[in-house]
Amino acid sequence: MTRPDETGQDVDPITLSTVWHGMQSIAREMRHVVDRTAQNYLLAQLHDMAAGIWDAQARTIAVPEGPTSMFLSQHFAVEAILEKFGDDLHPGDIIITNDPFKGHCNHLPDWGFIRPVFYEDELVFVLLTRGHQLDTGGSFPGGYFANGYDIHAEGLMIPPIKIYDRGVERSDVLELIWNNVRFPEGVKIDNYALMAGLTVGEKRIHSLLDKYGKQSVLNCVEEMLDRMEANVRATITEIPDGTYFGESATDDDGTTLDEQVWVRCEATIAGDEMTLDFTESDDQRTGFVNCVLASTYSRAVAGSFLFFDPEYSPFHNAGSMRPITLIAPEGSVCNAQYPATVGGSPVNVGTQVLEATVSALSQAMPEKAVAAWGRRRGHYIAALDTRNGQRYTQTTTDADGGAGAVWGFDGFEGAMGMSGLGSIQRGSVEEIEIRYPWRTERYHFTPDLSGAGRWRGGSGMVWEVRNLGGDARIATGSSDGDLTQPPGAAGGDPGPLSRMYIRRGDEIETVRTHRMIEVKTGEVLGKVSGGGGGVGEPFERDPQAVLKDVIDGYVTIEAAERAYGVSIDEAMTIDEDRTKRLRDID
Amino acid sequence: MYRIAIDVGGTFTDCLVLQESTGEVRQFKAPTTPGDPSIGLMDALKKASAAYELTIESFVAQVGLLIHGTTLATNTLIKKDGATTGMVTTRDFADVIEIRRGYKNVRTSMYNVFVPPYEPLVPRRRRLEVTERSTYEGEIVTDLNEADVRRAAEQLRADGVESVAICFLHSYAAPQNECRAQEIVQEILPDAHVATSHDILPVWREWERFSTTVVSAYVGPVVERYLEALERRLQDNGFDGTLLMMLSDGLVETVDRCRKRAVYLIGSGPAAAPAAAIYAGETAGQSNVLSFDMGGTSIDIGVIMDAEVPTTTENWAGDERVGIKMVDIHSAGAGGGSIAWIDSLGLLRVGPQSAGSDPGPACYGNGGTLPTTTDADVLLGFVDPDYFLGGEITLDRSKAEEAVRVEIAEPLGMTETEGAQAILTAVSSFMADQISEVFTSRGLDVRDIAIVAGGGAGPVHAAFIAERLRVPTVIVPSVAATFSAFGMFAMDIGRNYARSYIASAAEADLGRITDLFQQMEEEAAEGLKDMGAQSGAVEFVRTVAMRYIGQFSEVEVAFPLGEVTNESLDEAVANFHRRHEELYTFEMPWKGTELLTFYLKATVQKARFELREAEEGSSDSSSAQKSIRECIFNGVPAETPVYDGSLLRSGNRFEGPAIVEEPKTTIVVPPAFTCEVDRQHGYVLTSQSDFSNAGAQAGEN
Repeated sequence: MTRPDETGQDVDPITLSTVWHGMQSIAREMRHVVDRTAQNYLLAQLHDMAAGIWDAQARTIAVPEGPTSMFLSQHFAVEAILEKFGDDLHPGDIIITNDPFKGHCNHLPDWGFIRPVFYEDELVFVLLTRGHQLDTGGSFPGGYFANGYDIHAEGLMIPPIKIYDRGVERSDVLELIWNNVRFPEGVKIDNYALMAGLTVGEKRIHSLLDKYGKQSVLNCVEEMLDRMEANVRATITEIPDGTYFGESATDDDGTTLDEQVWVRCEATIAGDEMTLDFTESDDQRTGFVNCVLASTYSRAVAGSFLFFDPEYSPFHNAGSMRPITLIAPEGSVCNAQYPATVGGSPVNVGTQVLEATVSALSQAMPEKAVAAWGRRRGHYIAALDTRNGQRYTQTTTDADGGAGAVWGFDGFEGAMGMSGLGSIQRGSVEEIEIRYPWRTERYHFTPDLSGAGRWRGGSGMVWEVRNLGGDARIATGSSDGDLTQPPGAAGGDPGPLSRMYIRRGDEIETVRTHRMIEVKTGEVLGKVSGGGGGVGEPFERDPQAVLKDVIDGYVTIEAAERAYGVSIDEAMTIDEDRTKRLRDID
Repeated sequence: MYRIAIDVGGTFTDCLVLQESTGEVRQFKAPTTPGDPSIGLMDALKKASAAYELTIESFVAQVGLLIHGTTLATNTLIKKDGATTGMVTTRDFADVIEIRRGYKNVRTSMYNVFVPPYEPLVPRRRRLEVTERSTYEGEIVTDLNEADVRRAAEQLRADGVESVAICFLHSYAAPQNECRAQEIVQEILPDAHVATSHDILPVWREWERFSTTVVSAYVGPVVERYLEALERRLQDNGFDGTLLMMLSDGLVETVDRCRKRAVYLIGSGPAAAPAAAIYAGETAGQSNVLSFDMGGTSIDIGVIMDAEVPTTTENWAGDERVGIKMVDIHSAGAGGGSIAWIDSLGLLRVGPQSAGSDPGPACYGNGGTLPTTTDADVLLGFVDPDYFLGGEITLDRSKAEEAVRVEIAEPLGMTETEGAQAILTAVSSFMADQISEVFTSRGLDVRDIAIVAGGGAGPVHAAFIAERLRVPTVIVPSVAATFSAFGMFAMDIGRNYARSYIASAAEADLGRITDLFQQMEEEAAEGLKDMGAQSGAVEFVRTVAMRYIGQFSEVEVAFPLGEVTNESLDEAVANFHRRHEELYTFEMPWKGTELLTFYLKATVQKARFELREAEEGSSDSSSAQKSIRECIFNGVPAETPVYDGSLLRSGNRFEGPAIVEEPKTTIVVPPAFTCEVDRQHGYVLTSQSDFSNAGAQAGEN
């Protein structure tokens, strides 16, 4: 066996493997600490956060899993901080930022905490935790208000500044920040949770460096990046050269109503390089759906990862990103410029970037086709909890439909939100009833709410909650899919449309995405969500699988015939002859 | 009289017999019989009776206490061959167990979407809804519609269901509707196994409670049949002692109580290892130990601080969430049979694939061609091919050489010996990483403990892991090969109880907390009588799960015994702040706290036992040395003395490198370690390296 030497050549395979797994385990632990201690639903339940390790050149070394909205683009933020502070970084510093333009986050609620890690007087790594705060000020709690005039109307915007200077807390700065948010005590807990992730990460990195020595660890890092790059290049080489096209739309931008906003992705494969070009997407909008470049980058790269060898899916790093070029012109809805509003972009346009990317790549690789997942059906409530007289803000995504199908498998039931790819968690009915003055009255799958295909999407569902507290103002900005559908792939149907309503006694009022609504005391808010898209021609689905879906109530007898060309009678038997005729006609 | 512990594993049934008059312990093994494991269990007892030169009947008649651990429930779940199960649940919530809070597959990377969807244990067609509803405050807002329950039960009967899970929202606070539904279901399906969620896990969060209940219903009939067969066989052979089952929470229980709460047997068996580690640690004067049990396919790691068996409520069993309190064992796929391979990134990996027992490692000569940890152990000289399991199996060194050469050494451009060393290093570093992650995620420093090594492969590897982790001490108990079974002797007898009451600590109703503990304590005093406990002898430990108001995860901390007062509540709150700081590096004394679930652990001291003391000798061990052979340590060959374990005496002491061969296990003492035989014939390995100089090992592998 060879020892690592000063030039980074010949890293011995065992040290490499140990350092690699060590880095991943540190990133996981950082996330774990935040998970266990945070107090807001988005951090502790949805895991709407990023945590990881970057090097002194801002290259991504290790990130644990989490929403596609931010994990893979945090190097933009690290780079900006290294550039801004230069030599003015010291052990014990923590920098905060939530500025989408100077700090490269999706939107203002995503506060980032950055800690430079020094070893032997040299900056070697940069740790970052970033997470969605319960509130950042602005017009309406939560960050998904559709009608801000510009970015300043969306809330407090913090450029990269130090909140810890050589280990000393800058309390006056924190006081200023917390004075400008609603629920400051809760936000304070979450801020400490995110900073605790950094403390734990730094401790673990130091012990890794103690054990293997700085040079040896840095040599391993080079090797980790090179190996991922080589693997991704080898995979891209196997994709047929050519240009492929995918597109997807969000319902509207919340300001210009009912006008859909399109994201278009042209994927070009040339040898071992992949270019994802979003030039044909719509221009930057007045409403809140604009993505900054970092946000587009994170989604598009995450989308392409789904098509690489699953065996190395846990290992992705900056090396994986080297063969991928992203193009999005300034002023596009995929590369919005100051002072654009960006509040709704993680759900609207952000999701579409991911959908358009997988749509394009599914055409390049039909045998790896991936359909889009059920659209987000979230909202933000601001109201009074009459049980204790306290104001509260609540968000939920519990009504979301299931996963999209992939070539070979039906969509995962219950998994929700393509942004999370199954890494995020739904709420607990019992926990939510304890925490908020709402009672869940329905929460179950309903037939025919999945995209048909040889492999069908995961089901959508019906969800109803009754307001037992004070009259509630609700922003539906984190919902999408009333007018637009998640695309299917390789001949599969898109996921069905969703809808939303308020029930007052016998009266039902339909309400829409990207709006403000009011649900008064005693009224019911209901959602019927579309599930994931299908993959492959529905008429090629195994009739036995269709029968099983009918017996279990995921598909009705009518839909079995209409969408799948399978004739099933009331006694749950397949009429073979009629099925054959139905399928031949197509 | 004899006291017996039997651990029925996937491959072997381990049987430990303690002769109470002498304190002598003997180990027996028989193949497990998966069709009816009670047959293999009786085979093991027959082997034992023969060894004591008794008939099976006269042997069994002298057994006062038989403690039994079994992987039956776990295997039933993993192989998915449990009962046809139905579910009766709150209307409009039938899909809770399939929605399962949005989890994809917990073990797969999010960037791998090519994963088959989860198949619930109860398909949707057999999840039947009934009208009823309660609140978290225990108020029934919609009465149970009994006609719905009847219709559901009749439909389940028509579907041939053997087992029913009854799962209603908020039943932890209002169990009445579940109780009534159970009566109706039992009327219509008198032979069915019925599990109710308030009985299995009376704790808030519906998916965790429902999933646990469904698992219990699913494995219940299989467990019931087995327990019945076992009792019958034992009685037929004249057994008149007490039979206790080893539970996943590290306590033991009567057979009667296990029948209806089968989920508590998930993880039975491996859960006993920490108790063995505590016992071995105490013998060596260590109360902080790592229980390290390395078998053929996996390692089971348990962290023990202050001689307390660690527990958790966050377990998954395969693809199912099991929310009961279980011994906190972290399993990882690395064992003696784990296969070494080179992944697509060119990295050497060991496991999680295992060669199992068929074909087994290449050196078994049963047709295996892939190199395993055991093959590396043979090539490095640690395991004598002619003395594996005391000579029961002869190993083929040339097969090991070939496998390592073809699969590892040649692709990486190494010699065979280097290849074997690389496998050892890779498996050691993987295990060390796993251990270190387990420790740091609990806010502990691994260097403060001693490793207690058990299992077939544990004593070969433990010292190498200790070196990597800079742990100074490794303890190998004399019963290392039947580690879990031994743990069952050392375990407390008792029960865990839980009740949820969610309240801010500042405004909590002391009367209600008093009532909850009183209920649990009365139930425990009553229940433990079944196990022959005097009421005064029952020992209680109270804990409470708490969090800062607003948080989503809780931390379990000690709650004082005695009258529940403002002072005792303050003490629990102080415990919580401190524990939060330990676990997560910060506390928030300015923030209010919340009480969630109260726990009671009730135990009775089991009859004490003493292992026989080993014969005393001097520090000179030379008379036990049987040969010298070449072993490879860190790539360097060394002439290594081999000791016959049966000739070593308490107090013997020798320097590494050395090998100790016992009939059922091999202990490797690397250079830089000394080994001393303790008074119960265990081995204490102590590192002579100075670990205080942190940079000293930089660059080593």
